Amino acid sequence: MYLPYFVTYIAAGLIIALAVFFWALRNGQFRDQQRARFLPLEADPEARGAAVRKSRFARLEIAALFFLVAAGLAASAAVVVFALINANRW
Amino acid sequence: MENQNVHIPASGYRTAKGFCLTSAFWMMVATFMGLLGATELIAPDITENIGWLVFGRVRPIHINLVLFGFVTPGLMAAAFYYIPRLLRTELYSETLGVGTVVLWNAALVGVVVSLAAGHTQGREYAELIWPLDVGVVVVFAMVFVNFVMTVATRKEPVLYVSVWYALAGVVLTTLTYCLGNIIWRPDTGALAGIPDAIILWFYGHNIFGLLLTPLSAGVAYYVIPRAVKAPLYSHTLSLVGFWALLVVYTHIGTHHLLQVPVPTWLKVISIVDSVAMVIPVMAFLINIWYTAKGRLGEIHADIGAKFVFTGTIMYFFVSIQGSMMALPQVQRVTHFNNWVVGHAHIGVLGFAGMIALGGLYYILPYLTGRPLYSRFLADFQYWMVLIGVSGFTVVLTIVGLIQGNAWLNGETVYRLLPPVHIYYVLRAALGLMIFSSALLGFYNITRSMFFEPGESS
Repeated sequence: MYLPYFVTYIAAGLIIALAVFFWALRNGQFRDQQRARFLPLEADPEARGAAVRKSRFARLEIAALFFLVAAGLAASAAVVVFALINANRW
Repeated sequence: MENQNVHIPASGYRTAKGFCLTSAFWMMVATFMGLLGATELIAPDITENIGWLVFGRVRPIHINLVLFGFVTPGLMAAAFYYIPRLLRTELYSETLGVGTVVLWNAALVGVVVSLAAGHTQGREYAELIWPLDVGVVVVFAMVFVNFVMTVATRKEPVLYVSVWYALAGVVLTTLTYCLGNIIWRPDTGALAGIPDAIILWFYGHNIFGLLLTPLSAGVAYYVIPRAVKAPLYSHTLSLVGFWALLVVYTHIGTHHLLQVPVPTWLKVISIVDSVAMVIPVMAFLINIWYTAKGRLGEIHADIGAKFVFTGTIMYFFVSIQGSMMALPQVQRVTHFNNWVVGHAHIGVLGFAGMIALGGLYYILPYLTGRPLYSRFLADFQYWMVLIGVSGFTVVLTIVGLIQGNAWLNGETVYRLLPPVHIYYVLRAALGLMIFSSALLGFYNITRSMFFEPGESS
């Protein structure tokens, strides 16, 4: 017996969607669309700072991390090459 | 070095920060599980005798963690930041928000433990046992209360489209999750027969389309205009896309069941609406791309916007692919094989995952008042994810076509295993790349949050 649940869900979905739509209509949500375009720009002051110059230690740390990841990628590439070379043997 | 232009409220954006960390952490675990699963497809005996790590348990852990651990929290982090900003108010309750983050993470731990222990309801994307189902509904209800009360106390009268999308995503998911998991039947979480298949795929598609899609669209509509410093191309068009998504997307789940004896009228509706998805998709993409038109330099300069914009391109591909895959003649070849897995990776990782990472990187400097710890690492992660997801697309599409054509011609499953083996190796290699990128991302995000950047040398 599943129909009552389906019907309840459909009814709930429709009622919520229609209620919200008519609330928006009466509340003027669709009226000033030109101003709405600018809302994200007004939302917060410009906040992108210039990139911070890192200390020598931080630069070394990032370089070490980069080489670790590069080694991991090289290992992945080696697996792929090995697999391709040996593809016919499997 | 603090950025003096950033205003951080007394609440300190604790909820948004909590969701950032949640997303970054669970991305590592989720992608590791994906890598493990891919490895098991190459070497099935690799976890022999380790019952809680067999493929049948690893796969649902991977999927549930990607969905609820990595992507959704990443998108939530941005939503918890932009909703108060767009409404010119503060979040209704940071305490409630932090409580949500804690409960969310507790539920995720429960997901891993229960699925690894073999406790599952056995329905794809709806595997979680009843107590966890209730936990998921409760956390979404908590998010809903926080969002709605923030809207109620707003100073900005007009709701920007991002707010509409975020609210809709939370409301629709709460309702759909209850229905799709048959939450009124705690013992099985299922109906009997064909009605269960119909309801499962109604849910299975909507958990992506009515959760990840609206939350991702909300982030894109906020980040892109800000990054390019230009107003949205058309707010009216964005609302047309929003309401069209609600009308169209809810009907398309049955396109997963075209080869199943479900009523024909339901199949026809699902196919027609799958093709009609082009309306909300193009409304969204035209709007975003026209907003960014002629300003790609600004997109390139901002790592958050770069992730988000790439996500919108992936959205184009996955949506066109989805509409075509709903056609019965196409689906005879592409269904029930790795083509669909490739499609899912473009959608969840390429589209929603990219936008989640973009939203996260975009808001981080605002949350902390400091620039990102390392733009280089973020860029590196961007390229790893992009190469990884593009590789998945190519490899899994090839495997899918091999499997689909062979099975259509009556070939048996096991005879296809040797020819597709090489592609499974490639898939695991790409999985390693995505997992490595998650490690980089977690490091970069935690350093950005908790440690001062190095002093100028």
